[in-house]
This record gives sequence, C-alpha cells and structure tokens, in this order.
Amino acid sequence: MLSFFNSTLALLFQEAERGRFEQMRHAAANPDLSKFLVIGALLFIIGVAGVLTRRNIIVIFMSIELILNAANLNFIAFSRYLSQAGSMNAVAGQIFAVFVIVVAAAEAAIGLGIVIALYRNKDTIWVDEIDLLKW
Amino acid sequence: MTLSGYEALFFWIFGLAAIFAGLLTVMARNAVHSAMFLISSLVSVAALFVLARAEFIAGVQILVYVGGVMVLFLFVIMLVNVGAEERGRDEIFNNQRQVTASLIFCFLLVGGVLYSVNRGYSGLQALNQTPPDVLAAQQATRDQAYAKSATGSSKITNDSQSLGGSLYRYASLPFEIASVLLLVAIIGSVMLARTLRQEVSADDVDPEVLKDEIAREPELAKLEPRSE
Repeated sequence: MLSFFNSTLALLFQEAERGRFEQMRHAAANPDLSKFLVIGALLFIIGVAGVLTRRNIIVIFMSIELILNAANLNFIAFSRYLSQAGSMNAVAGQIFAVFVIVVAAAEAAIGLGIVIALYRNKDTIWVDEIDLLKW
Repeated sequence: MTLSGYEALFFWIFGLAAIFAGLLTVMARNAVHSAMFLISSLVSVAALFVLARAEFIAGVQILVYVGGVMVLFLFVIMLVNVGAEERGRDEIFNNQRQVTASLIFCFLLVGGVLYSVNRGYSGLQALNQTPPDVLAAQQATRDQAYAKSATGSSKITNDSQSLGGSLYRYASLPFEIASVLLLVAIIGSVMLARTLRQEVSADDVDPEVLKDEIAREPELAKLEPRSE
C-alpha cells in the first residue's frame, strides 16, 4: 500500500538526486507530459462524477462535454510529446482531436433535441423521474 | 516535452483553472452557472492547447465549443424550466446512496488513473533515452526556422498548415464521414425538437395518436394537410 502511494507521489518528485523541496520546485517549474495527463485525468474524473451524481439532464450533458475535453487534452499532449521526439505522425493526435470535437458537437445537438422532446412530453428534466425504461 | 519559464507558470494557472471550473460545473446549483463554469473550463483547456502548440485546435475549441455548443446549451437551459432548482427547493444530486457509491467509484478511478499515468510515463521515459535538454534544444532550432510575423516580435507557426495537410492526406475519408455525421445530426435534431403542431402540419403523426390529440385540442385538425 505504501509503495503504491510512493509511486503515485514519485510523479511529483521525478529526479531522485536532489532534496525533496528542490525536486518539487523543479518538477513544478518544468511541467512535462505527465502533468498534462494528470490534469486530463482529473477533468475526466470530475466529468464522470458529474454524470453519476447530478439529477439535471442538461448538467449531465455538460459533464459529458468535460469528459470529451479531457480526452482531447490527452490527444494534444501526446501529439506535442511525439512532435518533440521527432515523430512523423505527430499531427495524428490533433486529427483525432478534430474528430472528437465534431462528434461532440453532433452529440450535443442530438442530445439537446432529445432533452427538448422529453421536456415537452414528460415535463421534467430530472433523470430520476424519467424512469420509463427502469425495471 | 517540457515547458519552462512563463509557459510553466501559465500551464499551472490554466490547468488549475480548468480543474476548479470543472468542479464548479458539477457542483453549481443553477444550470446557467454550470454552463458559465463549463465555458471557463473549456477556455482554460484551449489555453493548455496553445501551450502544447496546437493553436488550430485551440481556435476550433473556442469557436465550436464556446461559440456554438455552449450557446446551444444556454438556449436549451432557458427553454426548459429550471426555476425550482434555483430557489433551492429541489435536490440537485441523486439520493445519498447513489452519490456515495459513485464518489467511491470516482476515488478508485483517481487512484487507478494516476497510478497508471505514473507507471506508463516512467515506461515511456525508459523507452525514450534522449535527454530532455537535447530535445528542447532540437525544438528551439526547429522554432528558429519559422517565419517572422509582420511586426517581427513573434514567429508564425505552421501548425494549421501541417494539420490541414495531414487531414487531407491521411484522413480525407473520415473527414467526409464526419461531414455526413454533422448533416445527420442537423436533420435529426430538427426532427426531434419539432412541436406537435409542426409535426401535424408536416403530416408526420400516427393517425391513431392524431385522433386522440385532435380530441384534446380541436384546432390541430385545421393544421392537417389532408383535411384541406
């Protein structure tokens, strides 16, 4: 268990030979790929928490946008990492991000159309009251 | 990739802003406030894209998400009634047990994801033996090759150019499929958001349903094309 936490914390303290504060300062002053990935992961998990806990269906849709955005952040960070490593396919991450944005826009349009139709028919936007398919 | 100097400062500012705005999106009571916090989160993430040298995607993010999708969200929020939520009568979260279960799940997910990011990143570092300062020096020489802007104070990147080139060279079929997807989404959302009146005047209602609806609302019969 302790080793698990140590390896998680090692993300922040990446260079072993300096003092702990110096390591933290150095890691914070030079954010690399892993910091982008951590921010993407936290945004993703905030989005998942929003989808699982909120009752308002529109806020659930917004949380889904947050999740897709976190995925985009990962794509872009890896694209940057590969381009600095000199890879020829470095733009692939950005291409994926373009398609994710397209799909997110289509999803939002369709989803909000469904929300409006649902509100007309059932007069509610609380997901716990929309239980026609619930067994 | 390693940021340094002002880039690192702005990375932390925008990264923390994105996370806090994301948290507030999920926790705000009023849906309009949620939308505003989501907009600030999206703009912060766009700033992170700029820091990762993806200027075109950052522009698309602001134009499409903030300018298009979020305006659509705000319209829908104002179409459906959220008054009860604002007054604080209704609970904004699901019931207690569901929230507890999903928070436990999220904490496990945080642990798992951070652990795998750490493991994966150390593996990636072991794979890539070139020291970071050498990579940064290579990047600096590549940056020198960019053309100067008109004022001479900055460089013009070729990010949009390379992205557009690769999009047409390697992803032209998916690009076309994406445009068909957008067309389907436009038609689908227009179909879904029609009112009963509009459906009747387009003669798009099941006759049995139409009979019931006309019994409830007689003026619908006037709208029906066949009755004329």
